[in-house]
Order: sequence, then C-alpha cells, then structure tokens
Amino acid sequence: MRTVLVIFLFVPVLLLAQDLDNVSPRQVDSSNVGAGKAQFQQTCGFCHGRDARGASGPDLIRSSLVSHDVNGNLIGPVVHKGRPEKGMPAFQLSDTQISNIAQYLHAQAKVAASVSQRIPSEYPVEKLLVGDAAAGQTYFNGHGNCFSCHSSTGDLAHIASKYKPFDLQTRIAFPSGLQPLLNVKDSSGQTFSGEQVYADEFLVTLRDKSNWVHTWKRNTVRVEVHDPLAAHEQLLKSYTDANLHDLFAYLETLR
Amino acid sequence: MTKILLACVGTALAISAQGLDPKTLVHPSADSWPTYNGDYSGKRFSFLRQINKSNVGMLSMAWAFQTDVNTGPGLKSTPLLVDGSLYFTEPDDVWSVDARSGQQNWHYHYHDNEGLHIGQRGLGMYKGHLYFETPDAHLLCLDARSGEVQWDKVLADVKQGYWATMAPLVIRNHVLVGVSGDFNDLHGFIDSLDAETGKLEWRWDALPKPGQPGSETWPANSDAIQHGGGMTWVTGTYDAESNLVYWGTANPNPVMDGSARPGDNLYTCSIVALNPDTGKLAWYFQPSPHDVHDWDAVQTPVIFDGDFHGQPRKLLIQASRNGYLFVLDRTTGKALLSAPYEETNWSSGVDAKGRPVGKTEKYPSPAGTLVEPDAIGATNWMAPSFDPNNGLLFVDTHQSFSLYYAYSTGKPEGFAGRDLTVWSRCYLRAIDYQTGKSRWEHDLGSGWDWSGVLSTAGDLVFSADVHGNVLALDAVTGKTLWHVYGGGPAQGPAITYEIDGRQYLVCGAHGVLYAFALPEGYVSDPLAAAAQAGSVSQRRLRKR
Repeated sequence: MRTVLVIFLFVPVLLLAQDLDNVSPRQVDSSNVGAGKAQFQQTCGFCHGRDARGASGPDLIRSSLVSHDVNGNLIGPVVHKGRPEKGMPAFQLSDTQISNIAQYLHAQAKVAASVSQRIPSEYPVEKLLVGDAAAGQTYFNGHGNCFSCHSSTGDLAHIASKYKPFDLQTRIAFPSGLQPLLNVKDSSGQTFSGEQVYADEFLVTLRDKSNWVHTWKRNTVRVEVHDPLAAHEQLLKSYTDANLHDLFAYLETLR
Repeated sequence: MTKILLACVGTALAISAQGLDPKTLVHPSADSWPTYNGDYSGKRFSFLRQINKSNVGMLSMAWAFQTDVNTGPGLKSTPLLVDGSLYFTEPDDVWSVDARSGQQNWHYHYHDNEGLHIGQRGLGMYKGHLYFETPDAHLLCLDARSGEVQWDKVLADVKQGYWATMAPLVIRNHVLVGVSGDFNDLHGFIDSLDAETGKLEWRWDALPKPGQPGSETWPANSDAIQHGGGMTWVTGTYDAESNLVYWGTANPNPVMDGSARPGDNLYTCSIVALNPDTGKLAWYFQPSPHDVHDWDAVQTPVIFDGDFHGQPRKLLIQASRNGYLFVLDRTTGKALLSAPYEETNWSSGVDAKGRPVGKTEKYPSPAGTLVEPDAIGATNWMAPSFDPNNGLLFVDTHQSFSLYYAYSTGKPEGFAGRDLTVWSRCYLRAIDYQTGKSRWEHDLGSGWDWSGVLSTAGDLVFSADVHGNVLALDAVTGKTLWHVYGGGPAQGPAITYEIDGRQYLVCGAHGVLYAFALPEGYVSDPLAAAAQAGSVSQRRLRKR
C-alpha cells in the first residue's frame, strides 16, 4: 500500500510537466537544464529544432544515442567530432556545456514521456472553451432537460469556482461518485434503505441511515435500485460534441 | 552402487522422454495445454465435457498455489501444461507447479530491471525449453526441468522505451516473438529465433522501409515512417495446412495526433499473414486505417473452417479493439463481414474493402471529443473463445464513453494526447459470426474486465466479472451456473485439461493460481447427463 501511495504522490509531479519550465527539480537540476536549453538553442537548435524535436537534422528526443547517454558521455564525442558525413560540424564546447545540453535533452525526453502517460491536470481552460455559452444555456433549459434536476442559481451556483475547468467538463459528460440508493426487503419482510456500498450479480451491500453496513445474497432479498445518475447515462448517449462544449462554456460562466 | 547407477539411468531416461514435441502442437492431447491459446487456432475451446452444465455447480477447489506476488492486478498469464507440469508467469517470475496438486516444482526470478511491469501473458515451449519475454524486452530460454537460464537474447532496447509481455509462439523449431512500447515513437516487429540457439532467423518489420510496398501510406520526407509504432504484443495463431501465421499489430505513433502521419499508416492496426519460415508477408487486412484512438488490432485472430452464409470457408475472425467484428477469408485476407459487435460512434460505415471509415470529427481534439468506446477499446488483450458447436465467438467487451484530448504543442510525440473514460460497463457477449450480433450478453458490471474466455464442449463458458467473480455460464443462454470469488481481480485466463480421468479448470485470481474440479470420486454418466442436463437426480457420487 505504501508503495502505491508513493507512486501516486510522485506520478503527478512527474506527469504534469507539460513544459520544461514545469519539470520537477527532483528530476533534474533546473538551472543546468535552463543553461542547457539556452546552449542547445544557440548551438544545435537551427538543425535539430529549438525543442530538439528535429528540423533539417534528426529529432533528438527519439534518438537511441541520447537515450543511452549518461551526463554527456555519448553526446559529448558527437558534438566534439561532429558528423561531417551527415553535414554536422564539430563544436568545441566545454564539459559543463555538454553536460548541460545532455540534461536539457534528457529533460525534454522526460517531458515527452510524461505527456504520453496522463492528461495534465492543469489543463488550459482556453483549449476547452470552444463552445457557445448562450447555446449551452438554451440546451440546459431546453433539449438537454438539465433544468429538471439542476438550477444555475441553486445546486450549480458558482459551480465553475468549485471545479477546475477540466474536471467540470468531464463531470458534465458524466458525474462520478454518486452511489445508487437501495431499498432491500429481506425474507422476513423487513425493509432496509441506504446508499449502495457494493453490488454484483450475487451480493448486495448498503449502508443504512445509522451508518450500519448490511450484506445479503441477492437471491434471498428483493432489491429496488434508484440510480440518481440514470438520466446522465441517457444524456451521455445523446450528447453531441457541440452540446458538451456549449454546456461547458455556459457552466464556466457560473462563477 | 549398481542400484544407484540404474536409478540414475532411469531418471535420465525419464527426463529425456519429457518435454514438448512441436509436432503435437497441431493436435494437442486432452492432458495438455501446450501453447498460449491451448492450440494454434486461438479458439480456446476444449472438447472435454466431464465438467458440463449438468454438474458445474458442484465444482470445488482442487488446489491453490500462492505466488506471493501481489502487486497490481496479479496473474495475467495463461499457464502451459505439458507432461503434468504447469508453467506460468508474472513479469519477473516463472513457476512450474504440479498440475495434479499445485505443488511447486521450481520458481525462477529475473533480476531487477527498468522495463514496464504492466503484465506477463505466458510462455512458449519447445522440447525441454521454455521461452520467457522479460519486462526489459529480453527473450530467455529456460530449462523446463529446473528453470535455469540456458540463453538470454536482447529483443529490443529498453532505454528507448520498449518492453515485453507476450507469450512466444513456437512453430516447429522457430520461436516467434513480439514486443511492446507506444509511450515513445518506436517501430514494432516480429522476430523468429532458432529454438535451440536463439539465433535470429528473420525479422518482419511492422513499418515498411521508404520505397517498399506500404510506404506510400506514410508521408514522404519525414521520419514518421521510422517511428510509427505497430507493436506486436499479443500472440498470433497458425494454420499448419497453409503454413501461415496470423498476427495482429498495434496502433501507430504518435498515438492520438495523426497530423504528422497522414495516410493509412501500414502495417499498423493490421492483421498480417506471414510465412513462419521466412517472415514474408502473404496478405494483410487493416481494421483501423490511420488510427488515432489507440485501438490496436492485436486481438487474437481466431481461425476455423466453417460455413459462412451457406459456403464452406477457411475463416479468420477478430473482435477488434475498435468495436468491429471482422470475418476474413484467411486464404486471401479479404473481408467477408465487418460489423460492430459493441456500441461505437466513431465510424460512418465501412468501405469497399470492409474497413471502417473514421469520422474526422471524432478525432481527439484540444477541447475534448466524446467517443465511444474509450482507448481501452471495445475489447483488449483478453482472450476470446470460439465454440464451434454453437457457432459463437465469446468476447469480454467493454461499452464506454471517453473524452479524447490531443494536446501536444509543436511536433506531436509519443501519445501526444490521452483520453479520460467517463462511463463504462462490461459484458460477456456470445457473438454470432454470421452477423456480428450478440445472441446473448451477460452483464459483467461497471468498470473494466480483463479476464478472457474459455469455452468447452460441456456447453460452458468460463470468464470473470469486474469484481473478480470467476463465472461459469451456459453457452446457449448466458445464464450463470457457478461462480467463485478468488480474493482479488481475476485476470488470469482460464484453461482446462484432464489428467488421470479428472478434468480441471485452472485460472488466476490476484496472486493465486486456482484449480477447480468435480469432487474426487465423482463419476458422471455422460449419456444420462446429456439426456437430463441440469437434473440433480442424474448426479451420482461414488467413492473410489
């Protein structure tokens, strides 16, 4: 369990780094990376791209040699000797300069790998705001039938201040975390009500209003399920992308 | 001394008699499960029927083997069974246990390594050799008697982002292996190695070289074709008659932003037919041209001979990750049927070649695009099963909606985006391969199910739900006949075999490998059972 926690704590630090400026200092010495970036862009960027993703010269993020390099031990000789057969001249850089460039390239590779693994949680709201707030409001009060359960001045008042934009958008698509409410009648005729804790094909478990947890075999009881998200399940299957983006644009105004 | 010598000679003879003759792989015996899929066809169907729908309710535990490896979801490997020994894996571990008792023969542990430990799906075997792909993309040859390493070959460079999880496929003296790795922009391949020496015999590259056939489906004057993905991470199938191996390839890279790789991107997301002696491509079919949703086409290409719309055919079927069932003529690769088997919203139909046509408005976008299914797909690596008696393909499916984001700045690299599943529910579907429609579906719960399927001539289908309940269902109706909870996620695919007249069901749940059987001494009367299927009065218990 501890291992899992440690991974979860660390992963966001590793994965949220979209841009080099956000790379955690735990991974690299950012001052060296910054110096390496400046040096790289000045010396190498013209051919390899300012972000090292290639231009007339190869993409160095995808380079096998860079992936095996440790603190410039492989990059250094290439820089010092050049690759004249491929049109790369030699550069006489100091060991520190080489080391800084190597750290920059390794940091760029880490950024590329982290972007591969998870959506950044600080997702830029301007990327999400492509919808029409007025159309979203019309949908909310009309075709979407949202008003039958929600109100912009009631449960959704200031909703955009409660959730990060990305979380708000995904919750509009489908809100998670609400459990079904169950009424269970056992073989003696006694009825129990409460929030579902667990349910599969064979067992059902609820927590009653006194906070006691009860479990039954399904084939011994009658179970009534009231799923507060049933309407959202129907809505999800009918959403167009425009509906979703318009609704988001509208709810994002509720600050 | 003489006695000792005789004993030694006897033991040596016994050892030399053991192992797996590759000729038997074409028609494995009932007391074996000698390849990843049980045989070469990928059907995962057993003709055993001692356990059948009249008595499956009596299944009880025969033994359990605790691996003590309880990280993550646990066992994902399909055990091999040869000469009374089971062989199965975790990413850094291989075990041999006695198939009658669960007693450990040996345990091999690989050294710490930086490969991705996402899963390990099993082994290949040739004579007395086992073949094991490690997380850091090595292929080890182990002595099946002891677990000792006989040789170790590097398949791919872990530093560049490759890893490995799959069970090698042995064809005669060739060991065919594939690799994984799509966080970075790499290239996929299938290697054939000599079973005795590990020497590379051929390599089939999933990405053509510039100028080769298929290269026209990539942009010219860019490095896209060299870094375009196409991993090969699920074991293929083999038709001995035509001497062709069938293998699914994975998604193109960069994964969710295809702007730098316009075109169909062959041979990614493809089913390919290769000659196992040369690696030469005989034909290909591409389930997802220019994929941008991570829907690889590695799902087991199941082969069988059967009627299709009134014609006898040599068929290949794949329930693909993109939600479509493909029925192909396996002699030509031509599609006979392309039909969705699970709900999808990303395609506008199929083209003249039977390939789904993707809607560009359902590509991942910076603002998020709502797509059904999610990137895990309508199914994934979990093994399907084909029941020839009922003409049904059983598939663990996943109905889901997801928001797909493409958010790379500058040149797309790696995944270049991601998706977030907002809703999902799993089913076990009994798919009629004539239509792609489900004859029945069994709700497996909300979330993800990864168990895979086994079907048997006892009219039974074995799988598991999202909670970890191992299920036995009626193959005809989908009704639950038996279940057991093994204490954790049940992702270890079920196999079955018969030894000493007793049929076993073996599957993994979390870190434990379980064997189930009818009570010892139980004798069923097959004729009576067939006549009175399900009737308790026909069960007879007799102590030996």
